[in-house]
Amino acid sequence: MKNLFKVMVIVTVASLLFVSCSKKTEPTAMAEEKKVALKVGMVTDAGTIDDKSFNQGTWEGILKAGDELGVTVKYLKPVGTTEADYLKEIGNLYDAGYKFIVTPGFKFETTIFKAQDKYADAKFVIIDGTPHNADYSEFRAEKNVISIFFAEHESGFMAGVAAALELKDGKFGFIGGMEIPAVQKFNWGFQQGIIYANENFGTTINLDAENIIYQGTFSDVAAGQQLAAQMFDKGVSAIFCAAGGVGVGAINEAKSRAQAGEEKWIIGVDVDQYSEGIYEGEKSIILTSAMKRIDVAAYDMIAEDLKGAFQGGATLTFNAANNGVGIPAKNPNLSADVTSKVAKVYADVQNGTVVVSAEQGSLIK
Amino acid sequence: MDYVIEMEKIRKEFPGIVANDDISINLKKGEVLALLGENGAGKSTLMSILFGLYRPDSGNIKVNGELVSIQNPNQAGELGIGMVHQHFKLVHNFTITENIILGREPKGFKIDLSDARKKIIELSEKYNLNVDPDEKIENVSVGMQQRVEILKMLYRDANILIFDEPTAVLTPQEIVELMKIMKNLIAEGKSIILITHKLKEIKQVADRCTVIRRGKVIDTVDVKNSSLAEMAEKMVGREVSFTVNKEKADPKNEILEVKNLNVINSRKVLAVKDFSFSVKAGEIVGLAGVDGNGQTELIEAITGLTKIESGEILLNGNNINHLSIKERINAGISHIPEDRHKHGLVLDYSLEENMVLEQIDNEKYSQNGFLKKDAIRSHAESVIKDFDVRSGRGPITIVRSMSGGNQQKAIVGREIFQNPDLLIAVQPTRGLDVGSIEYIHKRLIEQRDSGKAVLLVSLELDEVLDLSDRIVVINNGEFVGEVLASETNENEVGLMMAGVQKGENS
Amino acid sequence: MNLNSDKFRALWVALISVFLGLVAGAILMALTGHNPFEGYTYLFQGGLMNIERIGNTLATSTALFLTGISVAFAFKTGLFNIGASGQMLMGGLFATAIGLTWDLPKPILLPIILIASIIGGGLWALIPGLLKAKFNVHEVVATIMMNWIAYWTINYTIPAYFKGEYLETESRIIGNNASLRVEWLTDLFNGSYINLGFFIAVAVIIIIAIVLDKTVLGFTLKAVGFNKESAKYSGMNVNKSIILSMMIAGGLAGLGGATFYLGYSSNIQIGVLPAQGFDGIAVALLGANNPYGALAAAVFFGLLHSGKGFMNAMTDVPPEIGDTIIATIIYFAATSLLIHKFLDKITAFFKGGLKK
Repeated sequence: MKNLFKVMVIVTVASLLFVSCSKKTEPTAMAEEKKVALKVGMVTDAGTIDDKSFNQGTWEGILKAGDELGVTVKYLKPVGTTEADYLKEIGNLYDAGYKFIVTPGFKFETTIFKAQDKYADAKFVIIDGTPHNADYSEFRAEKNVISIFFAEHESGFMAGVAAALELKDGKFGFIGGMEIPAVQKFNWGFQQGIIYANENFGTTINLDAENIIYQGTFSDVAAGQQLAAQMFDKGVSAIFCAAGGVGVGAINEAKSRAQAGEEKWIIGVDVDQYSEGIYEGEKSIILTSAMKRIDVAAYDMIAEDLKGAFQGGATLTFNAANNGVGIPAKNPNLSADVTSKVAKVYADVQNGTVVVSAEQGSLIK
Repeated sequence: MDYVIEMEKIRKEFPGIVANDDISINLKKGEVLALLGENGAGKSTLMSILFGLYRPDSGNIKVNGELVSIQNPNQAGELGIGMVHQHFKLVHNFTITENIILGREPKGFKIDLSDARKKIIELSEKYNLNVDPDEKIENVSVGMQQRVEILKMLYRDANILIFDEPTAVLTPQEIVELMKIMKNLIAEGKSIILITHKLKEIKQVADRCTVIRRGKVIDTVDVKNSSLAEMAEKMVGREVSFTVNKEKADPKNEILEVKNLNVINSRKVLAVKDFSFSVKAGEIVGLAGVDGNGQTELIEAITGLTKIESGEILLNGNNINHLSIKERINAGISHIPEDRHKHGLVLDYSLEENMVLEQIDNEKYSQNGFLKKDAIRSHAESVIKDFDVRSGRGPITIVRSMSGGNQQKAIVGREIFQNPDLLIAVQPTRGLDVGSIEYIHKRLIEQRDSGKAVLLVSLELDEVLDLSDRIVVINNGEFVGEVLASETNENEVGLMMAGVQKGENS
Repeated sequence: MNLNSDKFRALWVALISVFLGLVAGAILMALTGHNPFEGYTYLFQGGLMNIERIGNTLATSTALFLTGISVAFAFKTGLFNIGASGQMLMGGLFATAIGLTWDLPKPILLPIILIASIIGGGLWALIPGLLKAKFNVHEVVATIMMNWIAYWTINYTIPAYFKGEYLETESRIIGNNASLRVEWLTDLFNGSYINLGFFIAVAVIIIIAIVLDKTVLGFTLKAVGFNKESAKYSGMNVNKSIILSMMIAGGLAGLGGATFYLGYSSNIQIGVLPAQGFDGIAVALLGANNPYGALAAAVFFGLLHSGKGFMNAMTDVPPEIGDTIIATIIYFAATSLLIHKFLDKITAFFKGGLKK
């Protein structure tokens, strides 16, 4: 019985810790006065809600909608990552009255394909994917589904231009996760950005084929660190990482080099990763980040629905023109001169003067 | 009074059984009191109460005339009560000194053993225990381990020593040693309670003897004035015969022949050397030898548990060198193993399941891979009836809950029921009370009389001499000689066990 | 006491364990500022509210039946199989490989797939079995290592040979003729994920119960499990039994893999060591290593997993706390040893009390 008592004490202490933690992250703390009837739910992909990527970006947008628009928000974490697990959580949200459901990631494509018929009176937003059936024989988005894509190439392009302008010469590298379209488009845009800067601003940046590598996973931290170390040893000064956990490894390598006095940079992806790269005080090795404004997309969809303007059945692309992609507004590692030059290029991309291709064309890999 | 221990009307019940039914005993200072009783009579329970392992349901305990309540072994220790358990509680890779101070370590960050070591040497010399304080337990004999346990009690200044079946694990020589040590202890003013069912030992060393049967005290007698037969009768509740009654053997054809056998043991040492002997139908051959002289390896080779190095084993004239254990069982070898818990039984199986362990795939007990539960049940019932196996719930009793004697009777019954041509019985009566011993001896002789071959291995010379028709002596793995039981005596065989060839000293 | 008092007691222990688990979960909920009664109401509603949810609960339990019985079977025969996860993966790999390669009518293909999954899991357990039998390598160590070998084998094999067109981290989706889902069952349960795997698992549990209780094989394996030495002295082939026992346990977990990847899911994913393999240990513990006990325990765990999402959706309990609550319940439910000791004391107390 003594043991049981010990266990009880441990459980109690552990739960008290949880209380203190959960208070801080309580998602439903929001402005009571602006309460509206809409309940917005989200089902997370593999990974946690604070993954600095898709889950977190989507949830931040939904949370903002909760604060500013007064909608009720909730996210659920599936037991596994199969279609059955995802659909079950959608069912749970639906049964609990959450009839506006946001799902981050292409892994939800077949799930939403089924859910759109099963829960015909609910609305779905799928990010980075479009509903289709299991064997890709049928692509179909009903009137209750919006598919959202991002112009990753434009984001990569802006990061390429900004990085080239700041460092002026030397070698750059690219580490990708898996060789899938979203990652490839980041790569191709990045290459075009460097070429643009070399041609228009007189920079001399080299991006050699040997320094463009797809690691093959989004999770192998150790491999990321090794790849980054090899590139840095070959004289590469900045690496663009569109690789999830692999990128974390690269960031760690750059941090340890920075602490040893070397000047090595990482260009972040998806969200502003500046805080990830801090190695001393406020100094970070994140030069800039190629962002996809997932939070903006999620927030906008909710806001439009409240106005009665839900664009059911549509496939929306978030690009520079609608401020859906780009680099962070504040880049402490970029000079004011670079920032203003980049702003001009961004305006050109927005108005179509500069066109960034989403295809490989003559680019490397 | 001058009683050091008085236990009055001690009562202890376990589910379904009254282990101690108002038992009263007392121990005088400077005497050896024997507690005599059959397996399961309640001796160990009573001593566990005295040692603080169990608490009595009712009754009083007085130590040196004062009423005490003993909650745990530590309290017992403080009252000067120490116990040598049947199964030693020693750490094998610790030295003897380390084992003795275990639980009584000198205080401080670093343990200083020098004082303890000095005290151990003193005690060892005083009581003539002959213990080397720096040797590791794993390197010393069983007898030495027991002396370490005794030293452990003396180190803790115990005055009342309880010995629980101390001779069960000892060789005859070690038993003689122990008896001497016990007399030394008494001479130094200690008092001893000896739990045993071996009458001879009581006669040798005890002053008084309290006989317990089925949880009750039957009588307390002065050992000097009582005969073995009297005490045995009190213990068992009926007259017991000590002499084995048997007709003269009528050996026929050779069942087992072992020729020039060599066996290497697990330590890669040649344990059986060029050994030859035979067992004929209708006779009991006793294999005599001091423990650890190759008997185990020889038996394992015959039963197929160990591979042989060279030589030949013939059963009914056929070479069985390459048969598996299973095939040898089927060919007619039955084996009553030395260690019934480790080798003879699956303790968590029921009695009926244990009765068919070797024969489960025999079509008598299974068909197309499915068990014939009725046949298994009725087989168990016959063994139970035939061999007087007593248990709480009959065939479905879990064997772990049965007493040692009944477990052994069940094994003997199982093996004899297989109607083997050759029955190998290793220490078949080890740790049993006289009633059970008598019974098992009778059954072994019946087996012989029905024309089967019996190979008996025993460390107890009495048993070998009483039961065997022919005695084969093994020493250091070698064949020493062969004598007819009717033409030899304890002395001659004892010398042969020590390696002296027959006739050498005459 | 009746003749079945041991089994009776095991049932009591299980029920008390579950109760304690629920109490611990309730304390956790209360401490994090949530109403436990409300939480549990939604938890059980989430698992049982309608026919579809019941179907989903059973579907979630299916793989647990098989990993639970895998661990329980190994336990019964004296082995500790921690490798159910890896065996599940290999069973799933074999099944998926055949499902994606051969195009046969469903009634022919399904039996082949199921047998392949049993072989896959069985072979994976053969290695720890051999290591244990021949070199006395402890099966706990060997099976844990085999888990990771399976994990990386999948990580390599799936992208290399069975990669989906767009899904880098998953195999292609299996065709309808290789799926354990059947339309009438899905319709009967109103669109639930319940599939033939459930019935196969229940049938397998009954078969295993019969094997353990009524056959020479079960008799031999259990004897070896209880006491190797006595089994050897009785002429049983101990090494063969250990290997066979591991293989059967592995085969069961492998079949669990088939029901999971081709029934509950419709492809196999890389980078995931299925949690069912480890939950199987808890299932076996709670089920007292009895096949039917494991069945009940698996349904209970399936209910928890399946109802958790609804509880999260209906209350303010965040999913992370929800996971912790479920884990706490499972943890407490599996601490039956404590309950056994506690019951011993209670019994002793009442025995003593009645006498006076």
